[in-house]
Amino acid sequence: MELVMEEDLALYAVKLASELGAEYVDARLEDHYNEIIVVADGKVQQGVINRKRGIGVRTLVNGAWGFQSTTDLTKRGVRQTVEIAFKIAKASSRHVPKPVELAPAKAYKASYKTEARIDLEDVAFEDKLKHLVTWEKKLYTSKRIVRGLAEYTGLKINKMFVNNEGANIKFSNSLVWLSLKADSKKGAVAQSYEKTVGHSGGYELFKKNNMEKMAVEIGHKAEALLKAKAAKTEKDATVILDNDYAALLVHEIVGHPSEADRVLGREAAWAGTTWWAGKIGEKIGSEQFTAYDDPTIPGTLGYYLYDDEGVKARRKVLVKKGVLKGHMHSRETAAVFGVKPNAGMRAITFEYIPLIRMSNTFFGEGDWKKDELIEETKHGYLVSCMRHPSIDDKRYNWTISAQEAYEIKNGELTTHLRDVALTSTAPKFFKSIDAATKKVEIIPLPGCGKGDPMQSLYVGNGGPYIRGVATVLGVR
Amino acid sequence: MASVLAKLREAGETVLKIAEKKGLEEAEAYLVSNKVLTIRLVNNAVFESKGVHDIGVGLRVIKGNMLGFSSTADLSKKSLQKLVDAATSASKARKLPFKYSFPKPGKIPKVTGVYSKKLAELQPEKAVERAYEMVEASMSYSKKVKDNAGVLNIVSYETLVLNTHGVKAKNVGTFFEASLNATAKYRGKVSEGSEATAGRSIKELKPKEIGEKAAEMAVSGLKTQKLKEGIYTMLLDYEPTQEITSYAAMLVSPMIARLYYPLFLNKIGKKVASSQVTLIDDPLMHNGVGSAPIDDEGTPSKKRVIINRGVLKGFVYDSFYAAMEKKKTTGNAVRVSFAVGVSAFPGKNYNGEPIPLPRNPYIKPGKWKREEILEDTKRGLLVRRFHYTRLTNPTRGDFTSILRMGLYIVKNGEVTGAVRKSRLLDNLLKILQNVDAVSDKLVVAGSWGDYAHTPMIRTKAHVTPID
Repeated sequence: MELVMEEDLALYAVKLASELGAEYVDARLEDHYNEIIVVADGKVQQGVINRKRGIGVRTLVNGAWGFQSTTDLTKRGVRQTVEIAFKIAKASSRHVPKPVELAPAKAYKASYKTEARIDLEDVAFEDKLKHLVTWEKKLYTSKRIVRGLAEYTGLKINKMFVNNEGANIKFSNSLVWLSLKADSKKGAVAQSYEKTVGHSGGYELFKKNNMEKMAVEIGHKAEALLKAKAAKTEKDATVILDNDYAALLVHEIVGHPSEADRVLGREAAWAGTTWWAGKIGEKIGSEQFTAYDDPTIPGTLGYYLYDDEGVKARRKVLVKKGVLKGHMHSRETAAVFGVKPNAGMRAITFEYIPLIRMSNTFFGEGDWKKDELIEETKHGYLVSCMRHPSIDDKRYNWTISAQEAYEIKNGELTTHLRDVALTSTAPKFFKSIDAATKKVEIIPLPGCGKGDPMQSLYVGNGGPYIRGVATVLGVR
Repeated sequence: MASVLAKLREAGETVLKIAEKKGLEEAEAYLVSNKVLTIRLVNNAVFESKGVHDIGVGLRVIKGNMLGFSSTADLSKKSLQKLVDAATSASKARKLPFKYSFPKPGKIPKVTGVYSKKLAELQPEKAVERAYEMVEASMSYSKKVKDNAGVLNIVSYETLVLNTHGVKAKNVGTFFEASLNATAKYRGKVSEGSEATAGRSIKELKPKEIGEKAAEMAVSGLKTQKLKEGIYTMLLDYEPTQEITSYAAMLVSPMIARLYYPLFLNKIGKKVASSQVTLIDDPLMHNGVGSAPIDDEGTPSKKRVIINRGVLKGFVYDSFYAAMEKKKTTGNAVRVSFAVGVSAFPGKNYNGEPIPLPRNPYIKPGKWKREEILEDTKRGLLVRRFHYTRLTNPTRGDFTSILRMGLYIVKNGEVTGAVRKSRLLDNLLKILQNVDAVSDKLVVAGSWGDYAHTPMIRTKAHVTPID
């Protein structure tokens, strides 16, 4: 791997920044390959192959952060980059009343990779284009399907992390995901249905999943929704959320508010803050409400073993049996909270400074079976598949639409419903959770945005089927 | 600057030569140098300063009417050779069902007020000071202001388009994005305020004004009343109107309309807004935040009316979507990288194919003075800020936004008090169709990397209180 040959450049950056006087320095040397294909209306709308390699240097000078990146991987280029990173950190330090402190972290030396049985670059781009065109075509299951959309992304990232504490970590990652969507229309009723598959791994994703079959199912679903009944508003209804809907809910009202930088008000400029700031140890939900963030699950979009600060990853318990237990941390926020760092820092490329991000955030399991959950519900709704979120800045009040739902009457699924959204507040919903199934599923969720400049990242989210109470919003 | 452009030109010419040698019929190199300096403010302090200088090239090639794209950040000859190979490989199996060719050279207009040497050369130390002035101004406004968070982005870019038809066009510019979010606390009450703007030169950057406006909004919201759910006359201030404009602008992209938001599909010639609404795209505007002499494939810029007195006149086109729909490019090629896991900095990106989008869109100012709209409103809401705005049903137009801060009751022409956090839940088409007044001045407003010139508008919408 060519990156290894440039290892000395990363070490040079660290040495140089230390010599200049930085208290702390880390360097991330990375090589990115990505390919994007978008097919709609039977045509390839985008077919992109990108390559980028470079280094990002983060320095702590007089208690203030500075960061600079470059694609100029010469000794001169790296030297200039380090000098700027040092200079701007120094400039920042004039207005840092409380110098940054980092919680101690062991300096690991490690090398690991994602298992990709079929390397992305071993499949001709031409073949991938053909696959996408075929799958998109399969979405048109009848005249009622007016538009199809297939979006594919493949990423290969080789990265190396070093710091002035002696850490040296190499990670070879590969990620693939694909979304298929069908839009249907009959008279004034317009519907759509979509699904995303994805993993950390190689092109074998499309061997594991029969994409042609999935495309046909999506087409049928979009058609079936045309015949579904529009949902009506019902206050405080019993709702059973499937893994896919639960994935977006946990992302928005558990994952984001668990980011310690957000808890500390550091994301207030755009994203917002967190209603549960200062509530660690308090009961915020029912006994059945547990949630984790865990990057160590192989095959997920949020997989990694060391974060972009070199901290070893582990499962983070965010909420246990209704009690708020902890947040996702950087070394810096861990120091503020007086806890051990838990490997929450990631950046999309070497060009960005890392931020606290979700990896795989999910609701914990219960002891119910899915069928039992439905059978034991006298009146309610089975709400399936995420659509659009709209969440307030404190992650308190939430509204999330679903792709479809079924009304439950006396323990049986009855009327098929379209145009469904649920709304509630986070604590009200958390307190209402009374059951969850055993089986947890992690759903790929590419496209989580945070930061300025914005970093759009891939994560995993999910959970079991969970039952709670929320207001069903019908069409206005 | 000259040396960067020379470096880009040399790489571009090399790429075209390699492509020609390889027997490709057409080639187009889009070369970018994009420098961003970001000063992030949190908890009343400078939290971090970060910089990136992104240099690279995006290449499109055509052979046998097959189109391919690839990009790289490595401008060495070896890498450029690989780039041509990758673009060629990407073109295989992408035979276009319509005849396509890259744009031909045209007469390039002059655009003024888009580059400031002082802004381009602003030293990090000075940028940190200017950013921190926003915090100082906010804190000095009132003792009740307790916390501030914000961002100052300073961007300078040079781009060059070279293609085998002889297009050789450059685009040079600078801009800043500055924002502050202030939190006021008093007797157990907490309230937020924010101000965000952008501009092309250092003299347009007024940190004191930004800090004071954010603080004023925060303090004004300390005493609030709860709203009753209902349909209200809404005076949408500059920022909310900019978000509405931004959505309307996306809807007139044939690519966005076909793939994601079909709300305006099949509506050309039809009324999509009230007669008060004229939507213009003017990349030739002096000092425009989206102005440039060329689009991102070298086509000369021109002004265009998209919605005329409520009637949708047409979509905007780059050369690719124009060819697909047998139309002419309107000079609206924009390279935005919206891919996940891929860099997308403020300024110019080279790692995606062009897509058609309005470049400097705005609602044409009307005849009303801002105060007159207020005076003319018997009962309504003044909305100074949208948050988390979404088109939740892109086919039907369901539209929602959190009215997180800066929400006030208007009674008999006067702002009488602030209102607690609420949610707008309506339909974008209805909101556009209900516009009955547009203010007479354009102001630069926006949020989170999306800024534009905008007036304020008055419309109607359904609003519901939230806990």
